[in-house]
Amino acid sequence: MNDLCVEVGYKSVNHVGEQLCGDHVDVIEKEEGDTVIVLADGLGSGVKASILSTLTSKIISTMMAEGIALENCVETIAATLPVDKMRGVAYSTFTIIHITGSETAEIIQYDNPGVIFIRDGKISDYPKQEMNLGGKKIFRSTVGLRENDCFVAMSDGCPHAGIGTGYNFGWKESDIAGFMENLWGVGYTAKTLATMLVDECYKLYGGKPGDDATCVTVQIRKRNPMNMLFGPPSNPDDLNRMMSLFFSKAGKHIISGGTTSTLAAKWLRKPLHPSLDFESKDIPPIAHIEGVDLVTEGVITVNKVVEYAKDYVNDNESYEQWGYKRDGAALICRMLFEEATDINFFVGKAINPAHQNPDLPINFSIKMNLVKELSESLKSMGKRVKVCYF
Amino acid sequence: MKVTVCIGSSCHIKGSRQVVERLQKLIAEKGLGDSVELGGTFCMGKCQQGVSCTVDGEFYSVSPETVDTFFEEKIVTPLTK
Repeated sequence: MNDLCVEVGYKSVNHVGEQLCGDHVDVIEKEEGDTVIVLADGLGSGVKASILSTLTSKIISTMMAEGIALENCVETIAATLPVDKMRGVAYSTFTIIHITGSETAEIIQYDNPGVIFIRDGKISDYPKQEMNLGGKKIFRSTVGLRENDCFVAMSDGCPHAGIGTGYNFGWKESDIAGFMENLWGVGYTAKTLATMLVDECYKLYGGKPGDDATCVTVQIRKRNPMNMLFGPPSNPDDLNRMMSLFFSKAGKHIISGGTTSTLAAKWLRKPLHPSLDFESKDIPPIAHIEGVDLVTEGVITVNKVVEYAKDYVNDNESYEQWGYKRDGAALICRMLFEEATDINFFVGKAINPAHQNPDLPINFSIKMNLVKELSESLKSMGKRVKVCYF
Repeated sequence: MKVTVCIGSSCHIKGSRQVVERLQKLIAEKGLGDSVELGGTFCMGKCQQGVSCTVDGEFYSVSPETVDTFFEEKIVTPLTK
């Protein structure tokens, strides 16, 4: 084991007019650092393709995660997939990235566009071994992993983007690789990288994709802890304990809440400097305390963070908002979504008497709900989340 | 003279942004930037009376509607006395 971890993000766009996607991605994390990622692209589009790709990816990911040999997985798929009446074949292409102990990646490719491998910010080649399984030509590779390695897998809907409109022969795979190479260094999350590629394909298709297009991005990252303090403890006597636990944790520290940051500033014996810059209309300004990486207002800011987090795990349409804005909510998002891999929440359950007013849209249960929703969203981003209540 | 405006959650909802922006504008218009120090503060514990403001430590309840009168009476008048 090492201190690396695997970050996976993917996004699809559907064939124009289809409600279901004919591509399917499955990610199974067996244990820490052991992850199987399968991208399957079913024949055609719509319901039929969706069934083929879902079956394929589910079968492969489940079997691989259980340690069953690839040959058996492929056999099982061939025996299970329904045969297409028109074309007389059962067909779904697939790409498998199997990461073991955050140390090695086994890449198995069958007929999808080649997996792009970025190492040290540059497109890198990796050896491929050809094998023949049940008449299928399959390529197998093994790569020893290093920090900041990045894999990009996609369905053929990506290189087909722009055929006949923007490009004569679609978006060349080498050009896609160049596109991803340029974006990689910025520090985007796997999900955002995948979103940007798929959004670009959508544009090239002129908003009417002629095929389902999917991108899966896998980044190997160093573990990066982050700590967030939200609300004062319900028993004032616990303040000292809560603060010393919070500040003794490794990683960056975020404090949300006016009263909370006032208490933290007092505890640190450092002045609290609220800023008066309203970076966004609806988010209160941030503040500064020496020794704390970010100080923000509480509920309104965190509510916005939850909104962004929910969108991120679904369509990721607002990354352009939180990705560059300078208000408290966007700053928290960048720290939690992009930087952090392990997040510790220190949640105080004190009830602010000033907030217990029916005229105010803030109350205690809303606050506790925010923490619950945020930690759920962060977990589905693949982050490790711990919540301590005080 | 030190003027602080609460930018905590509750006062934010009651319009502290409008109060701050209006005060910034009025101070600039009257050229009082050198004699008035406008600052923010987190919760003063008087959310019911928000938007909470203080002038040299003295508490006042202000709203976006009353900010102009507040400025005249509590900031301009004492300064020109």
